[in-house]
Amino acid sequence: MAVLTSSSQNLQVHRFPQESYIDSLRWLPQLSAFHRHIILAAFDSESSTSSLQILNSSNSSSNPPELTFQSSLTTPSRITSLTTSQNPNKPLIAASTFSGSLLLYTADLVNGSLEFVDSVDGKGFHLGRVNGIDVSENGSEFVSVGEDGRINWVSFVGGGLSTRKVFDSNGLVSYGAVKWASPVEFVSGGLGFGLQWWDQRRPGGPVSQFKANWTRGTTSGIVHSIDIHPSRKHTCLAGGSSGTVFAWDLRWQQQPIMLSGVGTSDLSILSPSESDVWEVQYDNYTTSSNYRNVSESRVLPAMICSEDGILAVIEQGEEPIELLAEPCAINSFDIDRQNPSDIVCSLEWESIAILTRS
Amino acid sequence: MPGLTSESDDLAMVPVSPESEKQPVVIYPLRHGLKSPIHRLSFSWACGNTLRVSVFQKPQSEKADGDGEAGGRVVEVKLSNSGDEEVDAARWRRMAYNSVTPFALLQSRKHSLSAASRMSLDIPPYKTEWWEHVIEYSKEISSLLSDRKPPPKSIIEDPKSVEIAAPMCLKAAWELLEIFYVDKQSQSWIPERLLDWLADYNSLFSGTLPTIHSKLVDFQQELVGVQVVEEDPNYWDAMSSALAVGWLETVVKLLRLHGSYRFDQLSSRETENGLVEAVAVLISKMPRMRPSLREDNLGECYKTKPDFMKAWEKWRTQISKLDCSSYWLQCDHRQTREGLKNLIQIMLGNPTVLSNATFNWMELFISHFLYIRPFTAGLESMHNSAQKCMQVKPVSISHKLFGLILGILGENTEVVLAECSRSFGPWMMAHAVELLTAGSTYAEILLHEEHSKLGGVSIEELHRLVYAQVLSSHALTWQIAPIYLTSCIKQGIGLLENLLYKQPVQHSQILLKSIEICRLYELDTINSNIMRIAGVHHWRHGRKGSGVFWLQQARDEFRLNRIAKQLFDFVGKSVSDEGFKQWEGLIELLGSESRTAGGLEFLNKYRDFRRSLLQVHGDTPTDTARNAAEALVSLMKNPSTPQRFWLPLLYDSLKLLMWQERPLVNVSQTQLLLNKLQELSMARLRPDFVEADLPSDALSSVRLALATNLGRAILEE
Repeated sequence: MAVLTSSSQNLQVHRFPQESYIDSLRWLPQLSAFHRHIILAAFDSESSTSSLQILNSSNSSSNPPELTFQSSLTTPSRITSLTTSQNPNKPLIAASTFSGSLLLYTADLVNGSLEFVDSVDGKGFHLGRVNGIDVSENGSEFVSVGEDGRINWVSFVGGGLSTRKVFDSNGLVSYGAVKWASPVEFVSGGLGFGLQWWDQRRPGGPVSQFKANWTRGTTSGIVHSIDIHPSRKHTCLAGGSSGTVFAWDLRWQQQPIMLSGVGTSDLSILSPSESDVWEVQYDNYTTSSNYRNVSESRVLPAMICSEDGILAVIEQGEEPIELLAEPCAINSFDIDRQNPSDIVCSLEWESIAILTRS
Repeated sequence: MPGLTSESDDLAMVPVSPESEKQPVVIYPLRHGLKSPIHRLSFSWACGNTLRVSVFQKPQSEKADGDGEAGGRVVEVKLSNSGDEEVDAARWRRMAYNSVTPFALLQSRKHSLSAASRMSLDIPPYKTEWWEHVIEYSKEISSLLSDRKPPPKSIIEDPKSVEIAAPMCLKAAWELLEIFYVDKQSQSWIPERLLDWLADYNSLFSGTLPTIHSKLVDFQQELVGVQVVEEDPNYWDAMSSALAVGWLETVVKLLRLHGSYRFDQLSSRETENGLVEAVAVLISKMPRMRPSLREDNLGECYKTKPDFMKAWEKWRTQISKLDCSSYWLQCDHRQTREGLKNLIQIMLGNPTVLSNATFNWMELFISHFLYIRPFTAGLESMHNSAQKCMQVKPVSISHKLFGLILGILGENTEVVLAECSRSFGPWMMAHAVELLTAGSTYAEILLHEEHSKLGGVSIEELHRLVYAQVLSSHALTWQIAPIYLTSCIKQGIGLLENLLYKQPVQHSQILLKSIEICRLYELDTINSNIMRIAGVHHWRHGRKGSGVFWLQQARDEFRLNRIAKQLFDFVGKSVSDEGFKQWEGLIELLGSESRTAGGLEFLNKYRDFRRSLLQVHGDTPTDTARNAAEALVSLMKNPSTPQRFWLPLLYDSLKLLMWQERPLVNVSQTQLLLNKLQELSMARLRPDFVEADLPSDALSSVRLALATNLGRAILEE
């Protein structure tokens, strides 16, 4: 455990070694100011088993945070992606798996326990790896995308899951990530830095497609993660191969707004990373109070984590702020929604880091 | 964890006796779920240390096929270590992870230094700098070997019981190497460093040998129940043992437990107490040849030899004076008198008393440093002293650390290497070589010399390769193996290629990791090969988009052309108006660049043409129809448009060719189309021609339309 203080910003970093590989992790909604929970998707390579774990993070201003293990449930397959609903009493946790299923759990934050609710799998759902999953704002609609080129809409009604196929490309494309934009719209992303905008009022195929021209001639890549800010639903933030992060504004569809990436000829872009950006999230911390003042045409600041061990905040036209530079990959991170100064991230070398900005 | 199988459905095929022999049998249960009898087993190695076992049932011809039971199953068994290692798997991995950064840093410093000094690191300014780097490296590695949190402080008096976690033999061995090979600043006070070392790691020997540590632990438990300590012979024995190996603070603490210090007895045992205190003070004033003391340690430090010698003589005189003092006669407590006299004998270096107070040669060796030959310097005299101590206290079971110490003292690099390799494994070898080469020129030559019988690699490289193999055998550590492999000049890159090719491409995370490693080490050929393998894999598994993407990334024109043919077959059937949506994504992916699409860019133009054709109805403006016609002509002109599409394209465009208002295709264009049609008629004679799925009169109606159009176009012009 080490404490690091960065000069530009007061930053505290605490590292917690684990005994298994962490595929993904998320903050759970906060129950009290001092006790927060983290949900982990862990993979034990010795026994080849995967599990969901709840850790309790105690946090007081004087002492360094402590992580204590609370409970764990073995999952039938390794987890590819985790998403949580923000219901503070009994948050739902949805996990997509390598074997093509979607698992739904609830967490009891008072006892720190996990409970299995329902799952969807089988030939009608996904064939092979489900790459991305997202939960709607109201916490009852899920959308999943897979490498098989299927997109499924899963509803949680009456205590069970019901599923409906939105699209099946029969493997002609593979999807890597998905994010809700509104109750009926979502964005998927995948190969060739492609993004697709789907609207359930106009079924049958994507409403709008994006494939940037700037990849032409140089190496192309894959979109690994997408985020959409609730206040800017027309702009879609995407991160993927070669340190690439860009925003796609539906109103100016042809030209992406480049935020980072080595594949571009534009040298003015300062790229914090050169390899795969595994996750992107808008970072509400710096602009939590005044993001409405940020000009409409500017992309809000975003946080990224990357294969080359970088956790950084990037902002259009500004130098990136590096929060962590690790010798190993940072697989996944999450910004606490109620407390955006706090970040949790999982490191490839079987550990977790908790960062507190102040 | 390996263990005896208890599942009823698992069938032991080889009887295993439960009594474990000298080499206990490790049993891995196989959960194959098949009913007996098992007909045949087949074994092969899977990735790393995983064994793949194929279990076959006897083919049952009498049984119907539809009973749903599998005829065999393949299970993978992970062979783990047998469990007697001091480091568990998770901790071992953490050690492996954490040693990457110091190792990589040292390698890069070595490169920049040898670049600066052109040839060797022996030139003085670089040598000094190199020393500092190696020390830093050694300290960092050493610190990661004890990353556990210290337990809460013990409340019991004996400070020796306050251990900071269970020390590891690995760390003890690493520190020995550091003391003797790296830390030049402590060369003059090596005996004192050995003393500290023994204080830290004495407990490691307790399992196999009698030690002072185990004796003190025993006494500490006893202490709780003892009323009058000074009457307990173990009290005096414990103190003499602790004093013999220089644990002064323990001795002083124990002396202060003496009954004469008790308030109610102070007056009646004044002389006795005076003697106890005098000994305690003398012990705490012992001169030590070292720059500073560790926390809680007693003694007085002297940095230079003359100062130390002077202080030493003075201290010995004081002890002798106390020994001859008349107060002893007034002390009527026999045990105290004898016990204190014994402590004085230890400080005066009485060999018999020292021998009695210690339990193994290492402890005796340290006590000789402290009280008999405090001015010992140089490995040779230390080695002689060690030999003598071994004769006095021979050990029945040799501890692995003893072997290492003797190798070091004997200045025998081969022995040190052999001991490290035998007792501490590949991790130690790969990392400790840096300490050895820094420590002696002979070792450097020995380790860097290339051996033809090792395939031209040096011993240093050999050990890195071995360690990299160990890392490669685990799913979570294989990705740090490249750091060690790339530090191997001769064989490293070859093995790295092997390692990368062995990774399963179907797992996208591993694929991307392999590509990242290729990027970092500029292995472009391997990179495109891996992407090609991935592309073919995805294509075969029906993920056409991923297949095309990876083949594009690999710039594999050949395979893209091959799969283009398959794709066109597919297109011809499924690109109906409504099914075309499915293709959109793939076509977007292909783009319109011919360079990376391998003829597949035809699909892009084809899509554009279909789109414009769909917009053309009877009442559309002529301009729209003209655009569609232009798209048709450009498609037909394009050499990458497959021949089999020519007729369907023209047939679909009949409405353009017969446009009411005016001809949309001019004379030369019509002639081009007619030529294509002619070419097609010729091609039909060839045996491998594939007939398009069109009405039989398609060709003639197209020909008629073109002829009519030609006539109209000539008239127009």
